[in-house]
Amino acid sequence: MDFGLNDDQRDIQGTARALVGERASAERVREHAEAGTTDTGLWKELGEIGWPGIAVAEEHGGQGLGMVELAILCEELGRAIAPVPFLPTVAAAAIIEHGGSDEQRARWLPDLAAGRAIGAVASADSADLVVGGAEADVVVLVDRSGASGAVVAAADATVEPVDAIDPTRPAARVSGGSPELLSGDVAAGVDRALVAIAAELVGVCEGSVEMTVAYVKERKQFGTPVGAFQAVSHKCAQMLLDTERARALVSQAAWCADAAPERLHEAAAMAKAAASDAGREVTSSAIQAHGGIGFTWEADVHWRYKRAQMDAVLLGGAGAHRARVAQLAAANVRSAVTA
Amino acid sequence: MDLTFSDTELAFRDELRGWLADNPAPPRPAEGGDDADFAWRRDWQRTLSDAGWAAPHWPAEFGGRGATLTQSAIYFEELGRARVPLPANVLGLLLGGPTLMVWGTDEQKDRYLPPILTGEEIWCQGFSEPGAGSDLAALQTKAVKDGDEWVVSGQKVWTSAAQWSKWCMLVTRTDGDVPKHKGLTYFLMDMEQPGVTVRPLKQITGEAEFNELFLEDVRIPDANVVGGVGNGWKVALTTLMNERAGLGFALQVRLRQYLDDLIAAADERGVLDAYAGELGELHTRCESIRLLAWKGLTDVEKYGQPGPEGSLVKWLWSDTNQRATQLAADIVGPDALTYGNDWSYELLRARGNTIEGGTTEILKNIVAERVLGLPRLKAAA
Ligand SMILES: Cc1cc2nc3c(=O)[nH]c(=O)nc-3n(C[C@H](O)[C@H](O)[C@H](O)COP(=O)(O)OP(=O)(O)OC[C@H]3O[C@@H](n4cnc5c(N)ncnc54)[C@H](O)[C@@H]3O)c2cc1C
Repeated sequence: MDFGLNDDQRDIQGTARALVGERASAERVREHAEAGTTDTGLWKELGEIGWPGIAVAEEHGGQGLGMVELAILCEELGRAIAPVPFLPTVAAAAIIEHGGSDEQRARWLPDLAAGRAIGAVASADSADLVVGGAEADVVVLVDRSGASGAVVAAADATVEPVDAIDPTRPAARVSGGSPELLSGDVAAGVDRALVAIAAELVGVCEGSVEMTVAYVKERKQFGTPVGAFQAVSHKCAQMLLDTERARALVSQAAWCADAAPERLHEAAAMAKAAASDAGREVTSSAIQAHGGIGFTWEADVHWRYKRAQMDAVLLGGAGAHRARVAQLAAANVRSAVTA
Repeated sequence: MDLTFSDTELAFRDELRGWLADNPAPPRPAEGGDDADFAWRRDWQRTLSDAGWAAPHWPAEFGGRGATLTQSAIYFEELGRARVPLPANVLGLLLGGPTLMVWGTDEQKDRYLPPILTGEEIWCQGFSEPGAGSDLAALQTKAVKDGDEWVVSGQKVWTSAAQWSKWCMLVTRTDGDVPKHKGLTYFLMDMEQPGVTVRPLKQITGEAEFNELFLEDVRIPDANVVGGVGNGWKVALTTLMNERAGLGFALQVRLRQYLDDLIAAADERGVLDAYAGELGELHTRCESIRLLAWKGLTDVEKYGQPGPEGSLVKWLWSDTNQRATQLAADIVGPDALTYGNDWSYELLRARGNTIEGGTTEILKNIVAERVLGLPRLKAAA
């Protein structure tokens, strides 16, 4: 048993933290969020160093590393709320890699892996609204079961930008085009996409805990830092618990994707359920602990709340994944009885 | 990252699994109340210790197997999985023994450790007092030196298993003139002597696990001081740290089994879909408890010190266990609220989980202050 990262993974984490910390500072994020734009300079840079293709097989132009490495990057970018289409792109790539035909892989993966193309994913039941769809070159649509899906080239489709609450992931209504069915193991791709989303949420939470703890240590009322009040400090402790709980489940799910794929389906559902709830709870508490400032547009805490809300509903909310966990657990219990 | 066991660990697990399969614990006595229950757990401990399985986490020189941390976690998981009773002397095995190994003299180790292992001498923990619970260092039980003995008077409360115990880990005040953490001394007190009165306290479950303990001019030889006069706080902390480790793995496995039973009950009654959300949530929480417990343990193995996981695990487990027992009442219906079945027992017993071994509020304080570095609210003097 070893929950730690190996030396290479630790290097990836250290490099990512340094790079993201420098290029996606709070000021930069705010600028792009205000303008509703992606940081194209940073995105280009990430593409050049191969980040979007970190988990894509080498034969498709990726680095051929695993989900553990991908989750590290999602987490670091989430921590900063970096305004780049990384998550939508890697989620689309994972589904195309596992669910696509050789032709579909050849058409999309090399460009997605190099950041030359931007991807997006959406549940077919979210009507036609696609998070990140306004800038995507390729959109993957997944049905409610997560077992089948289709891929659409944005160039062939009608794309109408929509203002969504998280301007760092410009959304759009995508319709028409000629969706091509994905005939491979779509579920395996969707499960990996869920882990990536959950990893980003863990990062969003982690950054929210840090910023809130720093604030409540500084802010004084009644002659004492507000962080000394247990109503506040216990809320912060709860934020940490929610974050660590989700992190543990994400680590397991990422590891399963690489080393024990037969356990991935359940692990991914647990990770997405816990991370979606944590994202909402932790960022809500962050706003509350900031008081009036937390409700202002100026304070950066709302960008976190908005990103968490977008991620929480992406490819199914916590409730749907919890129900799936219960069904899978029930199936296990039944088979243990008959065995 | 590698979430699998090594071959040695698997071999350890399989040996234990095999032994547990060949040596099933006898069923819980249907009659005879708390005393019969305790005797059953004592017999079971004897069976374990005869086979060398009472405390694999102890070093071989003291009758253990020198198991690694991972192996001892596997041990507790497997005991939970086999649904065997907790050994009678759980406080001696998990708290008293390990405390003596750190602070005891060679004579103390030779004298006290072997009968802990066999269950011949049961141990209890005399820490809490009517006026000192969460604020343990405020305790008032007094010990005064008289020749080569100490004379002790005071009252302890919530002392689990005191009615069956031979030895008590007793924390007392030996110096009232120094700050409260500094004037404490840790003793091993013989429970079988005049001046020691044990009065069982009936709990909300109807049983009496814990007791009041009245001490009137009790005599303890100087040789029974553990860790030195005035050093009681540090020794007590060693005991408390052990309280929050180990057992967590067994409790976590029991929670998983409880949830599996509950899923089966929901399935049987055709209400799985109606309760799928909460069942899925509790299942997910239980899995995160398992992972956090393992992460905490592997951090200790790697970095030599536990992360924040210890407090998080106990907090999350107690909370989840309580929620699970409430959900059971919904799924099973009013039948779960009648005496004499496990559902009602667990529903009531679970209320103690957020109090015993440090309340949830105190755990949150620990996380806030020691993990997040938040300032502490100044307590009124
Ligand atoms: C089943 C069971 C078995 C036990 N077995 C033993 C045993 O064998 N030996 C032994 O010594 N003790 C034992 N205990 C005692 C247990 O350790 C204490 O009950 C516990 O530490 C709390 O102390 P208290 O009961 O005095 O509550 P108090 O400390 O009076 O707490 C009352 C309430 O105030 C809250 N509170 C107190 N201080 C703070 C603070 N600083 N911040 C926020 N909230 C606070 C508490 O969380 C609680 O909700 C047992 C308890 C139970 C329930």
